[in-house]
Amino acid sequence: MNVETRGLTRSFRRRQAVAGVDLRIGPGVYGLLGPNGAGKTSLLRVLATVIPPSAGDLRLLGRDPAGHAERREIRRRLGYLPQDLGYYSGFTVVEFVEYIALLKDMPRARVPRAVASAVEDVGLGNRARSKLRTLSGGMLRRVGIAQAIVNEPELLLLDEPTAGLDPEQRVQFRTLMRRMGERATVIVSTHLVEDVGAACDQVGLMSDGRLVFTGTPAELSARGAGTGIGDAPLERGYSAVLAETRT
Amino acid sequence: MNETPDLERVWLGVAAQIWHRPPGRVERALAALLRSDGLARALLSTPSLLLPWLLASIAVLGAGTVASLATGTALVPLLAPVVAAAGIAYAYGPGVDPAYELTRTLPIGDRMVLLVRVPAVFGTDALLGLAASAASAHAAAVTFGWLVPMAAVSAFALAVATLTRSANTGVAAGLTVWCLAVLSARAVTGHAAAAVARPALLVPYAVLAVVCAAVVLIGTSTPAAPRSGPAKRGWQ
Repeated sequence: MNVETRGLTRSFRRRQAVAGVDLRIGPGVYGLLGPNGAGKTSLLRVLATVIPPSAGDLRLLGRDPAGHAERREIRRRLGYLPQDLGYYSGFTVVEFVEYIALLKDMPRARVPRAVASAVEDVGLGNRARSKLRTLSGGMLRRVGIAQAIVNEPELLLLDEPTAGLDPEQRVQFRTLMRRMGERATVIVSTHLVEDVGAACDQVGLMSDGRLVFTGTPAELSARGAGTGIGDAPLERGYSAVLAETRT
Repeated sequence: MNETPDLERVWLGVAAQIWHRPPGRVERALAALLRSDGLARALLSTPSLLLPWLLASIAVLGAGTVASLATGTALVPLLAPVVAAAGIAYAYGPGVDPAYELTRTLPIGDRMVLLVRVPAVFGTDALLGLAASAASAHAAAVTFGWLVPMAAVSAFALAVATLTRSANTGVAAGLTVWCLAVLSARAVTGHAAAAVARPALLVPYAVLAVVCAAVVLIGTSTPAAPRSGPAKRGWQ
Protein backbone atom coordinates (compact mmCIF):
# COMPACT_ATOMS: atom_id res chain seq x y z
CA MET A 1 0.00 0.00 0.00
CA ASN A 2 1.32 3.45 -0.87
CA VAL A 3 -0.99 5.30 1.50
CA GLU A 4 -2.03 3.88 4.85
CA THR A 5 -3.83 5.91 7.49
CA ARG A 6 -5.58 4.83 10.64
CA GLY A 7 -7.62 7.25 12.70
CA LEU A 8 -5.96 10.14 10.90
CA THR A 9 -7.05 13.43 12.42
CA ARG A 10 -6.04 16.99 11.74
CA SER A 11 -7.36 19.77 13.92
CA PHE A 12 -7.15 23.51 13.52
CA ARG A 13 -7.73 24.91 16.99
CA ARG A 14 -10.91 23.17 18.16
CA ARG A 15 -12.19 22.25 14.72
CA GLN A 16 -11.41 18.82 13.29
CA ALA A 17 -10.88 19.29 9.54
CA VAL A 18 -10.00 15.60 9.20
CA ALA A 19 -11.68 13.37 11.75
CA GLY A 20 -10.39 9.83 12.07
CA VAL A 21 -9.87 8.82 8.44
CA ASP A 22 -8.82 5.25 7.62
CA LEU A 23 -7.31 4.69 4.17
CA ARG A 24 -5.43 1.92 2.40
CA ILE A 25 -4.62 2.90 -1.16
CA GLY A 26 -2.35 1.16 -3.66
CA PRO A 27 -1.52 2.03 -7.27
CA GLY A 28 -4.40 3.42 -9.30
CA VAL A 29 -6.46 6.58 -9.41
CA TYR A 30 -8.40 7.41 -6.26
CA GLY A 31 -11.01 10.16 -6.44
CA LEU A 32 -11.71 12.18 -3.32
CA LEU A 33 -15.15 13.73 -3.47
CA GLY A 34 -17.03 15.94 -1.06
CA PRO A 35 -18.68 19.31 -0.65
CA ASN A 36 -16.73 22.46 0.16
CA GLY A 37 -15.27 22.31 3.65
CA ALA A 38 -15.52 18.50 3.84
CA GLY A 39 -11.81 18.18 4.63
CA LYS A 40 -10.45 17.09 1.25
CA THR A 41 -7.77 19.75 1.02
CA SER A 42 -6.70 19.27 4.64
CA LEU A 43 -6.39 15.52 4.07
CA LEU A 44 -4.32 16.08 0.93
CA ARG A 45 -2.08 18.57 2.75
CA VAL A 46 -1.39 15.98 5.43
CA LEU A 47 -0.65 13.33 2.80
CA ALA A 48 1.62 15.80 0.99
CA THR A 49 3.56 16.38 4.26
CA VAL A 50 2.71 20.09 4.25
CA ILE A 51 1.17 19.72 7.69
CA PRO A 52 1.48 16.84 10.16
CA PRO A 53 -1.51 14.98 11.52
CA SER A 54 -2.82 15.92 14.96
CA ALA A 55 -3.49 12.26 15.75
CA GLY A 56 -3.57 8.84 14.11
CA ASP A 57 -1.15 6.71 12.14
CA LEU A 58 0.22 7.67 8.74
CA ARG A 59 2.50 5.76 6.39
CA LEU A 60 3.33 6.95 2.89
CA LEU A 61 5.15 4.74 0.38
CA GLY A 62 5.90 2.35 3.22
CA ARG A 63 7.61 5.05 5.31
CA ASP A 64 6.73 7.07 8.39
CA PRO A 65 6.84 10.79 7.50
CA ALA A 66 7.45 11.75 11.12
CA GLY A 67 11.14 10.91 10.67
CA HIS A 68 13.24 13.50 8.84
CA ALA A 69 15.15 11.08 6.60
CA GLU A 70 12.05 9.07 5.72
CA ARG A 71 10.06 12.24 5.03
CA ARG A 72 12.76 13.40 2.64
CA GLU A 73 12.62 10.05 0.81
CA ILE A 74 8.84 10.34 0.57
CA ARG A 75 9.13 13.88 -0.80
CA ARG A 76 11.54 12.71 -3.51
CA ARG A 77 8.83 10.32 -4.71
CA LEU A 78 5.93 12.71 -4.28
CA GLY A 79 4.10 14.98 -6.67
CA TYR A 80 1.72 17.58 -5.31
CA LEU A 81 -0.54 20.13 -6.93
CA PRO A 82 -1.90 22.49 -4.26
CA GLN A 83 -5.31 24.06 -4.59
CA ASP A 84 -3.67 27.46 -5.05
CA LEU A 85 -0.47 27.07 -6.99
CA GLY A 86 1.72 30.06 -6.36
CA TYR A 87 4.13 30.75 -9.17
CA TYR A 88 7.00 33.06 -10.05
CA SER A 89 5.60 35.35 -12.70
CA GLY A 90 9.00 36.08 -14.25
CA PHE A 91 9.81 32.40 -14.81
CA THR A 92 9.03 30.66 -18.08
CA VAL A 93 7.11 27.38 -18.06
CA VAL A 94 10.32 25.40 -18.49
CA GLU A 95 12.23 27.42 -15.90
CA PHE A 96 9.51 26.87 -13.28
CA VAL A 97 9.20 23.13 -13.88
CA GLU A 98 12.99 22.81 -13.95
CA TYR A 99 13.33 24.75 -10.70
CA ILE A 100 10.88 22.43 -8.94
CA ALA A 101 12.62 19.39 -10.46
CA LEU A 102 15.94 20.53 -9.02
CA LEU A 103 14.35 21.14 -5.60
CA LYS A 104 12.99 17.61 -5.86
CA ASP A 105 16.61 16.51 -5.83
CA MET A 106 16.51 15.06 -9.32
CA PRO A 107 19.95 14.46 -10.87
CA ARG A 108 20.77 17.43 -13.12
CA ALA A 109 21.46 15.21 -16.11
CA ARG A 110 17.93 13.81 -16.00
CA VAL A 111 16.20 17.15 -15.60
CA PRO A 112 16.02 18.57 -19.17
CA ARG A 113 14.37 15.49 -20.63
CA ALA A 114 12.04 15.05 -17.65
CA VAL A 115 10.97 18.69 -17.93
CA ALA A 116 10.36 18.38 -21.68
CA SER A 117 8.32 15.24 -21.11
CA ALA A 118 6.20 16.81 -18.36
CA VAL A 119 5.60 19.98 -20.37
CA GLU A 120 4.55 17.95 -23.42
CA ASP A 121 2.33 15.71 -21.28
CA VAL A 122 0.24 18.70 -20.26
CA GLY A 123 0.13 20.07 -23.80
CA LEU A 124 2.19 23.19 -23.17
CA GLY A 125 4.99 22.49 -25.64
CA ASN A 126 4.03 25.51 -27.72
CA ARG A 127 4.23 27.78 -24.64
CA ALA A 128 7.32 26.24 -23.09
CA ARG A 129 9.29 29.48 -23.19
CA SER A 130 6.40 31.77 -22.30
CA LYS A 131 6.56 33.71 -19.05
CA LEU A 132 4.07 32.42 -16.51
CA ARG A 133 2.50 35.87 -16.17
CA THR A 134 1.35 35.64 -19.80
CA LEU A 135 -0.57 32.37 -19.34
CA SER A 136 -4.29 31.86 -18.78
CA GLY A 137 -5.65 30.26 -15.60
CA GLY A 138 -6.11 26.91 -17.32
CA MET A 139 -2.56 26.97 -18.63
CA LEU A 140 -1.20 27.79 -15.18
CA ARG A 141 -3.14 24.82 -13.83
CA ARG A 142 -1.39 22.66 -16.44
CA VAL A 143 1.98 24.09 -15.41
CA GLY A 144 1.07 23.00 -11.89
CA ILE A 145 0.35 19.49 -13.11
CA ALA A 146 3.65 19.45 -15.04
CA GLN A 147 5.69 20.29 -11.94
CA ALA A 148 3.79 17.62 -10.00
CA ILE A 149 4.61 14.84 -12.49
CA VAL A 150 8.12 15.92 -13.52
CA ASN A 151 9.80 13.43 -11.15
CA GLU A 152 7.52 10.56 -12.19
CA PRO A 153 6.14 10.36 -8.65
CA GLU A 154 5.03 7.16 -6.97
CA LEU A 155 2.45 9.18 -5.06
CA LEU A 156 0.68 11.96 -6.90
CA LEU A 157 -1.68 14.25 -5.00
CA LEU A 158 -3.80 16.64 -7.03
CA ASP A 159 -6.12 19.19 -5.46
CA GLU A 160 -8.78 20.33 -7.92
CA PRO A 161 -6.55 19.71 -10.95
CA THR A 162 -9.27 20.29 -13.54
CA ALA A 163 -10.36 23.69 -12.22
CA GLY A 164 -10.06 26.13 -15.10
CA LEU A 165 -9.49 23.48 -17.78
CA ASP A 166 -11.74 23.44 -20.82
CA PRO A 167 -13.61 20.20 -21.71
CA GLU A 168 -11.00 19.05 -24.23
CA GLN A 169 -8.17 19.62 -21.77
CA ARG A 170 -10.10 17.77 -19.06
CA VAL A 171 -10.43 14.74 -21.32
CA GLN A 172 -6.68 14.84 -22.03
CA PHE A 173 -5.97 15.23 -18.33
CA ARG A 174 -8.07 12.17 -17.46
CA THR A 175 -6.02 10.16 -19.95
CA LEU A 176 -2.85 11.39 -18.27
CA MET A 177 -4.24 10.45 -14.83
CA ARG A 178 -5.11 6.95 -15.96
CA ARG A 179 -1.62 6.53 -17.41
CA MET A 180 0.00 7.77 -14.20
CA GLY A 181 -2.27 5.46 -12.20
CA GLU A 182 -0.90 2.38 -13.95
CA ARG A 183 2.25 2.51 -11.83
CA ALA A 184 1.61 5.17 -9.16
CA THR A 185 -1.00 6.08 -6.60
CA VAL A 186 -2.89 9.12 -7.81
CA ILE A 187 -5.25 10.84 -5.40
CA VAL A 188 -7.43 13.49 -6.96
CA SER A 189 -9.55 15.83 -4.90
CA THR A 190 -12.44 17.23 -6.87
CA HIS A 191 -16.09 18.07 -6.71
CA LEU A 192 -16.60 17.26 -10.37
CA VAL A 193 -18.10 13.79 -10.21
CA GLU A 194 -17.73 13.24 -13.96
CA ASP A 195 -13.93 13.34 -13.53
CA VAL A 196 -14.23 10.56 -10.98
CA GLY A 197 -16.48 8.47 -13.16
CA ALA A 198 -14.16 8.78 -16.14
CA ALA A 199 -10.76 8.29 -14.55
CA CYS A 200 -10.93 6.78 -11.07
CA ASP A 201 -10.75 3.14 -9.98
CA GLN A 202 -11.78 3.93 -6.42
CA VAL A 203 -13.62 6.80 -4.84
CA GLY A 204 -13.88 8.20 -1.34
CA LEU A 205 -16.55 10.65 -0.24
CA MET A 206 -15.82 13.02 2.62
CA SER A 207 -18.25 14.96 4.75
CA ASP A 208 -17.44 16.98 7.86
CA GLY A 209 -13.92 15.58 7.99
CA ARG A 210 -15.03 11.95 7.88
CA LEU A 211 -14.82 9.44 5.08
CA VAL A 212 -18.47 8.43 4.66
CA PHE A 213 -18.10 6.23 1.58
CA THR A 214 -15.36 4.23 -0.08
CA GLY A 215 -15.80 1.99 -3.08
CA THR A 216 -15.82 1.98 -6.84
CA PRO A 217 -17.58 4.64 -8.91
CA ALA A 218 -20.11 1.96 -9.89
CA GLU A 219 -20.85 1.23 -6.23
CA LEU A 220 -21.34 4.93 -5.55
CA SER A 221 -23.71 5.15 -8.52
CA ALA A 222 -25.65 2.18 -7.17
CA ARG A 223 -26.25 4.00 -3.89
CA GLY A 224 -28.28 6.59 -5.78
CA ALA A 225 -30.48 4.18 -7.71
CA GLY A 226 -34.08 5.39 -7.54
CA THR A 227 -33.22 8.23 -5.23
CA GLY A 228 -30.92 11.22 -4.85
CA ILE A 229 -30.62 14.47 -6.70
CA GLY A 230 -28.65 14.84 -9.90
CA ASP A 231 -28.57 14.28 -13.63
CA ALA A 232 -26.07 11.42 -13.72
CA PRO A 233 -25.96 8.17 -11.72
CA LEU A 234 -22.76 9.24 -9.93
CA GLU A 235 -24.29 12.56 -8.94
CA ARG A 236 -27.35 10.76 -7.57
CA GLY A 237 -25.14 8.37 -5.61
CA TYR A 238 -23.09 11.29 -4.30
CA SER A 239 -26.10 13.23 -3.09
CA ALA A 240 -27.81 10.12 -1.69
CA VAL A 241 -24.80 9.23 0.47
CA LEU A 242 -24.46 12.82 1.69
CA ALA A 243 -28.19 12.93 2.51
CA GLU A 244 -27.89 9.69 4.48
CA THR A 245 -24.93 11.10 6.38
CA ARG A 246 -26.77 14.28 7.29
CA THR A 247 -29.79 12.43 8.60
CA MET B 1 13.89 -5.13 -36.73
CA ASN B 2 11.67 -2.07 -36.38
CA GLU B 3 13.24 0.81 -38.31
CA THR B 4 10.44 3.30 -37.67
CA PRO B 5 11.77 6.07 -35.44
CA ASP B 6 9.87 6.83 -32.25
CA LEU B 7 9.07 10.43 -33.15
CA GLU B 8 7.77 11.30 -29.70
CA ARG B 9 11.00 10.13 -28.14
CA VAL B 10 13.06 11.99 -30.72
CA TRP B 11 11.05 15.17 -30.19
CA LEU B 12 11.50 14.98 -26.41
CA GLY B 13 15.24 14.78 -26.91
CA VAL B 14 15.16 17.78 -29.24
CA ALA B 15 12.85 19.77 -26.92
CA ALA B 16 15.07 19.01 -23.96
CA GLN B 17 18.03 20.42 -25.86
CA ILE B 18 16.21 23.48 -27.13
CA TRP B 19 14.39 24.44 -23.96
CA HIS B 20 17.09 23.74 -21.43
CA ARG B 21 19.20 26.68 -20.28
CA PRO B 22 22.61 25.32 -19.22
CA PRO B 23 23.70 26.62 -15.81
CA GLY B 24 26.29 29.39 -15.86
CA ARG B 25 29.66 29.30 -14.15
CA VAL B 26 28.36 30.91 -10.98
CA GLU B 27 25.52 28.41 -10.67
CA ARG B 28 27.85 25.48 -11.28
CA ALA B 29 30.29 26.80 -8.68
CA LEU B 30 27.49 27.30 -6.16
CA ALA B 31 26.15 23.81 -6.87
CA ALA B 32 29.60 22.38 -6.14
CA LEU B 33 29.93 24.48 -2.99
CA LEU B 34 26.46 23.69 -1.66
CA ARG B 35 26.53 20.14 -3.05
CA SER B 36 23.05 20.67 -4.43
CA ASP B 37 21.85 21.85 -7.84
CA GLY B 38 18.49 22.80 -6.33
CA LEU B 39 19.97 24.97 -3.60
CA ALA B 40 22.22 26.69 -6.12
CA ARG B 41 19.26 27.58 -8.32
CA ALA B 42 17.25 28.66 -5.26
CA LEU B 43 20.07 30.94 -4.13
CA LEU B 44 20.38 32.57 -7.53
CA SER B 45 16.61 33.15 -7.54
CA THR B 46 16.67 35.12 -4.28
CA PRO B 47 14.63 38.29 -4.88
CA SER B 48 17.00 40.45 -2.85
CA LEU B 49 20.06 39.18 -4.73
CA LEU B 50 18.72 40.04 -8.18
CA LEU B 51 20.27 42.94 -10.06
CA PRO B 52 17.48 45.53 -9.55
CA TRP B 53 17.54 44.98 -5.81
CA LEU B 54 21.33 45.18 -5.65
CA LEU B 55 21.30 48.39 -7.68
CA ALA B 56 18.73 49.87 -5.29
CA SER B 57 20.89 48.89 -2.29
CA ILE B 58 23.96 50.44 -3.92
CA ALA B 59 21.98 53.61 -4.66
CA VAL B 60 20.84 53.95 -1.03
CA LEU B 61 24.29 53.36 0.41
CA GLY B 62 25.87 55.54 -2.28
CA ALA B 63 23.56 58.40 -1.36
CA GLY B 64 24.49 57.82 2.28
CA THR B 65 28.17 57.98 1.37
CA VAL B 66 27.78 61.24 -0.53
CA ALA B 67 25.73 62.75 2.31
CA SER B 68 28.31 61.59 4.85
CA LEU B 69 31.13 63.24 2.92
CA ALA B 70 29.11 66.44 2.48
CA THR B 71 27.85 66.82 6.04
CA GLY B 72 30.54 65.07 8.06
CA THR B 73 27.88 62.88 9.68
CA ALA B 74 28.37 59.11 9.58
CA LEU B 75 25.17 58.09 7.78
CA VAL B 76 26.32 54.83 6.19
CA PRO B 77 26.38 52.90 9.50
CA LEU B 78 22.81 54.06 10.13
CA LEU B 79 21.59 53.08 6.66
CA ALA B 80 23.30 49.70 6.36
CA PRO B 81 21.12 47.88 8.94
CA VAL B 82 17.93 49.03 7.22
CA VAL B 83 19.18 47.98 3.78
CA ALA B 84 20.10 44.56 5.13
CA ALA B 85 16.83 44.18 7.02
CA ALA B 86 14.84 44.82 3.86
CA GLY B 87 17.00 42.38 1.89
CA ILE B 88 16.66 39.65 4.50
CA ALA B 89 12.90 40.11 4.88
CA TYR B 90 12.60 39.65 1.13
CA ALA B 91 14.95 36.67 1.00
CA TYR B 92 12.37 33.94 1.50
CA GLY B 93 9.27 32.92 3.37
CA PRO B 94 5.52 32.68 3.20
CA GLY B 95 5.13 36.38 2.49
CA VAL B 96 7.64 36.42 -0.36
CA ASP B 97 7.60 33.06 -2.08
CA PRO B 98 4.40 32.53 -4.08
CA ALA B 99 5.07 28.79 -4.25
CA TYR B 100 5.68 28.49 -0.51
CA GLU B 101 3.04 25.75 0.03
CA LEU B 102 4.56 23.71 -2.77
CA THR B 103 8.11 24.14 -1.50
CA ARG B 104 7.07 22.68 1.86
CA THR B 105 6.57 19.32 0.12
CA LEU B 106 9.97 19.20 -1.57
CA PRO B 107 13.00 17.25 -0.34
CA ILE B 108 15.06 20.44 -0.42
CA GLY B 109 12.65 22.25 1.84
CA ASP B 110 11.88 25.86 2.54
CA ARG B 111 14.05 26.02 5.64
CA MET B 112 17.13 24.82 3.76
CA VAL B 113 16.54 27.49 1.14
CA LEU B 114 16.11 30.07 3.88
CA LEU B 115 19.32 28.99 5.61
CA VAL B 116 21.26 29.37 2.38
CA ARG B 117 19.73 32.65 1.30
CA VAL B 118 19.95 34.56 4.58
CA PRO B 119 23.76 34.41 4.97
CA ALA B 120 24.18 35.18 1.28
CA VAL B 121 22.00 38.29 1.48
CA PHE B 122 23.56 39.35 4.76
CA GLY B 123 27.07 38.87 3.44
CA THR B 124 26.33 40.79 0.25
CA ASP B 125 24.79 43.70 2.13
CA ALA B 126 27.65 43.67 4.62
CA LEU B 127 30.15 43.94 1.76
CA LEU B 128 28.21 46.81 0.22
CA GLY B 129 28.08 48.52 3.62
CA LEU B 130 31.80 48.05 4.15
CA ALA B 131 32.54 49.49 0.73
CA ALA B 132 30.33 52.50 1.46
CA SER B 133 31.94 52.98 4.87
CA ALA B 134 35.39 52.83 3.36
CA ALA B 135 34.38 55.42 0.77
CA SER B 136 33.21 57.82 3.49
CA ALA B 137 36.65 57.88 5.08
CA HIS B 138 35.84 59.92 8.17
CA ALA B 139 33.43 57.24 9.28
CA ALA B 140 36.13 54.59 9.38
CA ALA B 141 35.98 54.47 13.17
CA VAL B 142 32.58 52.83 13.03
CA THR B 143 33.19 50.80 9.90
CA PHE B 144 32.63 47.49 11.69
CA GLY B 145 30.47 48.73 14.54
CA TRP B 146 27.23 48.39 12.63
CA LEU B 147 27.59 44.69 11.80
CA VAL B 148 26.05 43.49 15.06
CA PRO B 149 23.15 45.99 14.98
CA MET B 150 22.68 45.04 11.33
CA ALA B 151 22.39 41.38 12.30
CA ALA B 152 19.89 42.26 15.03
CA VAL B 153 17.66 44.43 12.85
CA SER B 154 17.82 41.91 9.99
CA ALA B 155 16.88 39.03 12.28
CA PHE B 156 14.05 41.11 13.74
CA ALA B 157 12.68 41.95 10.28
CA LEU B 158 12.89 38.30 9.22
CA ALA B 159 11.15 37.12 12.39
CA VAL B 160 8.29 39.57 11.91
CA ALA B 161 8.05 38.69 8.21
CA THR B 162 7.90 34.99 9.09
CA LEU B 163 5.28 35.36 11.81
CA THR B 164 3.05 37.75 9.88
CA ARG B 165 3.68 36.02 6.53
CA SER B 166 4.38 39.46 5.05
CA ALA B 167 7.75 40.76 3.89
CA ASN B 168 6.42 44.32 3.84
CA THR B 169 5.41 44.07 7.49
CA GLY B 170 8.86 42.68 8.29
CA VAL B 171 10.58 45.58 6.55
CA ALA B 172 8.30 48.11 8.28
CA ALA B 173 8.99 46.52 11.67
CA GLY B 174 12.75 46.48 11.06
CA LEU B 175 12.71 50.10 9.94
CA THR B 176 10.62 51.14 12.94
CA VAL B 177 12.77 49.40 15.52
CA TRP B 178 15.96 50.81 13.98
CA CYS B 179 14.55 54.35 13.87
CA LEU B 180 13.59 54.01 17.53
CA ALA B 181 17.11 52.82 18.38
CA VAL B 182 18.73 55.70 16.50
CA LEU B 183 16.39 58.34 17.94
CA SER B 184 16.85 56.95 21.45
CA ALA B 185 20.63 57.05 21.07
CA ARG B 186 20.44 60.63 19.88
CA ALA B 187 18.15 61.65 22.72
CA VAL B 188 20.44 60.12 25.34
CA THR B 189 23.89 60.99 23.95
CA GLY B 190 23.20 63.76 21.45
CA HIS B 191 24.68 61.61 18.63
CA ALA B 192 22.66 59.33 16.38
CA ALA B 193 25.81 57.31 15.62
CA ALA B 194 25.82 56.16 19.24
CA ALA B 195 23.25 53.55 18.14
CA VAL B 196 26.09 51.70 16.46
CA ALA B 197 29.15 53.01 18.27
CA ARG B 198 28.37 52.30 21.93
CA PRO B 199 29.93 49.00 23.07
CA ALA B 200 27.29 48.69 25.79
CA LEU B 201 24.65 48.08 23.12
CA LEU B 202 26.42 45.15 21.52
CA VAL B 203 25.09 42.58 24.00
CA PRO B 204 21.43 43.66 23.67
CA TYR B 205 21.79 43.62 19.88
CA ALA B 206 23.34 40.15 19.96
CA VAL B 207 20.58 38.86 22.26
CA LEU B 208 17.92 40.29 19.96
CA ALA B 209 19.57 38.62 16.96
CA VAL B 210 19.69 35.23 18.67
CA VAL B 211 16.11 35.42 19.96
CA CYS B 212 14.80 36.45 16.55
CA ALA B 213 16.76 33.68 14.82
CA ALA B 214 15.13 31.20 17.20
CA VAL B 215 11.72 32.67 16.41
CA VAL B 216 12.40 32.21 12.68
CA LEU B 217 13.43 28.58 13.15
CA ILE B 218 10.31 27.86 15.21
CA GLY B 219 8.13 29.86 12.85
CA THR B 220 9.28 27.94 9.79
CA SER B 221 8.51 24.56 11.32
CA THR B 222 4.97 23.23 11.37
CA PRO B 223 3.61 22.69 14.87
CA ALA B 224 2.78 19.05 15.25
CA ALA B 225 0.44 17.37 17.66
CA PRO B 226 1.68 13.78 17.78
CA ARG B 227 -0.50 10.80 18.37
CA SER B 228 -0.94 11.41 22.03
CA GLY B 229 -0.64 14.66 23.84
CA PRO B 230 0.17 18.18 22.76
CA ALA B 231 2.50 19.42 20.03
CA LYS B 232 6.13 18.44 20.54
CA ARG B 233 7.94 18.98 17.28
CA GLY B 234 7.34 20.01 13.74
CA TRP B 235 7.91 18.68 10.25
CA GLN B 236 10.70 20.38 8.40
